[in-house]
Amino acid sequence: MKKTLALLMVLAMVVALLAGCKTPVDPTPTTNPTTEPTVTDEPEVTPPPMADWDGKYIERDDYKAYIKHDLDFLYATIKDQLGDSAAAVEAAVQAGAQAIDFAGTVAEIRAAYANAYQAILDAIPTYEGVATYKKLPNSERTTILGILERYAVTTGITGISLFENGGYVMYNPRITLGTENFIVGYGFGVLPEGNITEDLEYETNEAWKRYYHIEEHDDPGTLNYLNDQGAVVGDLYGYMAASFFTNFMNATKDGYDWVPELAKEKPVAVNDDDADGMCTTWRFEVRTGDDGLKYTTASQMADRAAFNNRPVALEDYEYAFKLLLTQSNQLYRGSELANTKSGAIAGAKAYYDGTAEGENEELWANVGIKTYNEGGKNYFEVTFKEEQTQFYCMYYIASSLYMPIPKEFVDLVTVTNYCGFDKNATTTPVDNSLVVGPYYVERYDADQQIVYAKNPNYVFADTKYAIPGIHVKIFTAAKEDTNAVFNEFIAGHFDVAGIPQEYLNEYRNDPRTRSTTGTSNFKLNVNATSPETWEYLFGEEGVVTQTPKEDYWESKPCLANRHFVKALSLSIDRLTFANARGSIPSVDYLASNYMIDPENGISYSVTEAHKKAVEGLLEDTDGYGFSLELAREYFRVALTELEAEGAYTPGTKENPTVIHIEIAWMYPTHEELYHNEIKNFLETAFNDESVCGGVYQLSVDFWVGNDWSDVYYNKMMVGQFDIGFGSISGNSLDPIGFVSVLSSDQEISGSFTLNWGVDTNDPDAYPIVYEGYRWSFDALYNAVNSKAIVAQGQNKASLTFEYTPIVKNDDGSYTGTLTVKATLPDLTKFNVTSIACCNYERYYNGDGTYDEFELTDFTCEDQGNGVYVITFTVPADIAADYATGSGTSENPTGYTGFDFYYDLEFDGDTQSTYYSVSEDHFIVD
Amino acid sequence: MGKYVLKRIVLAFMMAFIILSVTFILVKLLPFERPIGGDAQQIAYFDKQFHLGYVFRFNVEKPELGRLLYKSPADHGVSNYYYQVPVFQQYGNWLRNIITKWDWGVSKTYMPNVAASTIIMKRIGYTIRLNIFAVLFSVPTGILLGIWAALKKNKITDHIISTMVMVFISIPSFVLISFVIRIFGYDLQWLPTSWPPDSASWGVRASGYIIPVFCLSFGSVCYYCRYIRAELCEVMESEYLLLARTKGLTRRQAIVRHALKNALVPIFPVMLSEFIGLLGGSMVLEQLYGIPGIGKLFVLSLGYKDYDILFVDMAIFTTMSLLFGILVDLSYGFIDPRIRMGAKK
Repeated sequence: MKKTLALLMVLAMVVALLAGCKTPVDPTPTTNPTTEPTVTDEPEVTPPPMADWDGKYIERDDYKAYIKHDLDFLYATIKDQLGDSAAAVEAAVQAGAQAIDFAGTVAEIRAAYANAYQAILDAIPTYEGVATYKKLPNSERTTILGILERYAVTTGITGISLFENGGYVMYNPRITLGTENFIVGYGFGVLPEGNITEDLEYETNEAWKRYYHIEEHDDPGTLNYLNDQGAVVGDLYGYMAASFFTNFMNATKDGYDWVPELAKEKPVAVNDDDADGMCTTWRFEVRTGDDGLKYTTASQMADRAAFNNRPVALEDYEYAFKLLLTQSNQLYRGSELANTKSGAIAGAKAYYDGTAEGENEELWANVGIKTYNEGGKNYFEVTFKEEQTQFYCMYYIASSLYMPIPKEFVDLVTVTNYCGFDKNATTTPVDNSLVVGPYYVERYDADQQIVYAKNPNYVFADTKYAIPGIHVKIFTAAKEDTNAVFNEFIAGHFDVAGIPQEYLNEYRNDPRTRSTTGTSNFKLNVNATSPETWEYLFGEEGVVTQTPKEDYWESKPCLANRHFVKALSLSIDRLTFANARGSIPSVDYLASNYMIDPENGISYSVTEAHKKAVEGLLEDTDGYGFSLELAREYFRVALTELEAEGAYTPGTKENPTVIHIEIAWMYPTHEELYHNEIKNFLETAFNDESVCGGVYQLSVDFWVGNDWSDVYYNKMMVGQFDIGFGSISGNSLDPIGFVSVLSSDQEISGSFTLNWGVDTNDPDAYPIVYEGYRWSFDALYNAVNSKAIVAQGQNKASLTFEYTPIVKNDDGSYTGTLTVKATLPDLTKFNVTSIACCNYERYYNGDGTYDEFELTDFTCEDQGNGVYVITFTVPADIAADYATGSGTSENPTGYTGFDFYYDLEFDGDTQSTYYSVSEDHFIVD
Repeated sequence: MGKYVLKRIVLAFMMAFIILSVTFILVKLLPFERPIGGDAQQIAYFDKQFHLGYVFRFNVEKPELGRLLYKSPADHGVSNYYYQVPVFQQYGNWLRNIITKWDWGVSKTYMPNVAASTIIMKRIGYTIRLNIFAVLFSVPTGILLGIWAALKKNKITDHIISTMVMVFISIPSFVLISFVIRIFGYDLQWLPTSWPPDSASWGVRASGYIIPVFCLSFGSVCYYCRYIRAELCEVMESEYLLLARTKGLTRRQAIVRHALKNALVPIFPVMLSEFIGLLGGSMVLEQLYGIPGIGKLFVLSLGYKDYDILFVDMAIFTTMSLLFGILVDLSYGFIDPRIRMGAKK
């Protein structure tokens, strides 16, 4: 009986135990997006006994609260776009929160978060297929940009923003501004809409007393913007240049309109066959001499003066492009135009490459620039390589570089001297420029002054540009003395000046002062790589750059911890920092002048999408991302984690463990200007007793290179840094295209990645969800900008190639193979048409083309599932010929390559293209 | 004597050649700059450098040419590879053009395509005028102050002058000009705050000389003053001057006829040396006051990395300094017949 009773009791205990010890909710979520949430239906869960808390700098509950906040934030990031996955994700989030509640140690809490994170990822399907969102309405594209920005902000690839380079500027009271309120992307409209109502007493030349008096630090020595890479010449050339389309302030003086200037109408689509508002060829009517448009020059030389008041001819518009794109003219902007990808003109690159020796009419016939008269109207037609909307057609073609110019004038003054001085400086830009813009060059005294007068022949001479001239003083003192321009302004010598730092408090509220927004946001860019990631990116075999072992950079574990980087960001009192420098405090990546709707002048910074993207940076702060207490909390969180993973060992209060972080700057002056205060912010936040009791110490060090660009080329772009100061500016009318620089893919970013540590083509790095699918940053970026081929959420090429180098056969011939794999086999049809062999040195024609030998002996085997294997053979005589040496270099074999020409039908589009292998060798016997 | 002068001139040119060669090589060894921008900007920039003759452009890699500056994205399977032209090759080209064609090159960035020598010639007048005015102001002013101090030796006037001299001789001209512009330009508004352009009236342009000439010559004034005071004090204590007074000459007669004559003898070589010093001092001063002279051009061409201008400018400064050095040495012989140049023992 006793035995039976004991047995029953044991049985009861086992049952009770089984009932009571229900395992916690499995944090692994279901992968079925349609699963209904079940958590609320389940009975109360009893937590298991917790292990002892092992964090030293923060209470367990506080730490959990931060980790749960991360989870909630993640959920908030994606929940609007979850679609069918919403329930499963919600369940995963709730399960994750519960698992965090039940976890005891730092490691357990982090594991619970990681499990929940993985469960969320598993719950959302990745996008598969081809995606193009370029033609979506602007509002939807703004939403996508917001999603990309939020991802970038959260993962830290935007760096730590400090300030926008806007600020305060003072105008002479004699100036009537076009508007009192700065218009983002336009300004105050001083010249087009403003006026001058009083004389400048200081000016001794009576005729110039009502000219707009400004300064340039340096004399650029030329006004030829076509061959200049800086901004100064662009500004000076801009005064006298007109373009097809321009901007004028709108009637309500709170924005601007796009207005045809040399054009007579907005572009009209020529080949918009699918009526979606986008096409490659656009045309518009232009003004010529028939409409009274005439050139102006102030030259007194008879041969130049003969061009004054000469009517503008239709072919002058076309010649402006030919002048730029003819390579033998050696014009910087011509090379840029030929090689640009944004708004590239069809045939421009081929024409440029083929004109090293001079103009080539045959090649010009293929360039997408045409002028013609039709029905008595003069038309300009442009064909882009890619489809453009009407607005972007206007935008890309609106450059003042394309101002018409008669060939005869350029032949007279020569391309070399155009808008500049001749070799003996006997002619000046006054003699060598011929313009149709609002002003013309009246006088050019090298190193002293450049004076412009109003052009009576300008299209809008009667209604715009009331100010009769511009006087630009070359004021080199400003290079040595930061207050020099301001002193001149206060003395009444200049009409406009920025307020230097030391005068800000005195003049900030002066009635002459106006505030402006900026064009670029300056940031502290962060190297958040682990040693392994650094090795992959920058090591001896790095994919970005190759670094010898002895130059390896020591990645800092603390910078790979997102809580630590967040704490750094929270430590910076941007308001104080920026106010002291007359700039604008900002946590944004994009400056205010980035227009999401450039046609209507709407800045991206005012959109809801942007506000949502940066809310995580502003939460519980002073409104500019600063909170000393929160910074210290996040330092505690970060140190707890870093210690738990063994990255750092605490020292003692007397002998603390020092965490060194180096900030790389552009100029030595930045030490005083920026570094010392930033260092103070960061060290004050971290080194406070309350953070870790003094067992760690943060030391922020200063670095500067020989040249300002060293911080880019020798530090940030090659991974040799902890934190680097800098900014990249792009096309302010295309913020969606500009975020390319955030990608870790060097092809997408154009090698301008400044923040490292996140693989932006990894959809698991941090969830990007759009319309119910997960994407990598690169995939969604490509989809919204052009077309993305997406597999497992990643951006892919339609085909991938695997080349096996050639091998010599017994008969002296060579055989090689190329394996081609289609990313999306169902959408792909592949057919190789020919294979060419080329010795790149020996058979170079000198004009960008090569003589190639076409191989006839090749096979292409379709192995199914989108895999094709091409086997080719190079005949023995060709191989022997190529192996005998190029004769044009010291390399005995030269570089032999193969071009594989193929037809590709992908997703309905057909193209004939090629794949090149550029470096293979035949063996020299 | 003639042989000595010829030898000195030949040596001066050799020295100038060495200085220019070393400068060329050191300057060209500075790190190659790159623009910030995408591939289109990079290609445009390096193509321009290629056309200017600063870089090689190949369609294959040439590791033997050193560090690859830039590789353009592949087009038709081929990239362009850009390498810096070796410094000694650039040096050889530069030297050959000077020797065979007297071609000092053209400006690359400052005034694109304008001959470097033309740019210098257009500006040298401003610098020469400025420095001559500075000498014309500093020599008499310095001498008069020196005489006055010597005549009032150990009196309050002498102490004031000597103290002022010590203070102002320590202040570089480019520091002084900032204060002078502030006071006379901005506060009192008596003088132009920067160099008036050529289009300004004669009066304004003339007033534009006052501040830079004053600031440039102030150091020299102090130097002459101190020098003359010391020389004159020494002469005035000499026995022959005492003899002159005992013979019945008045103090004025003794000083003017005997003391001054001897005290002023060594000043001429000092004046030549000071002129060379003024040229150096005008570099920063021209930049600060916006004077379009060759001193400012030197600083600008360094900033622009416009080396052809820099080397012509450098050649002028070097040659002038060396030739004035020879003149200084020769002047000793003319002034004091006891010194014989190149005389054998």
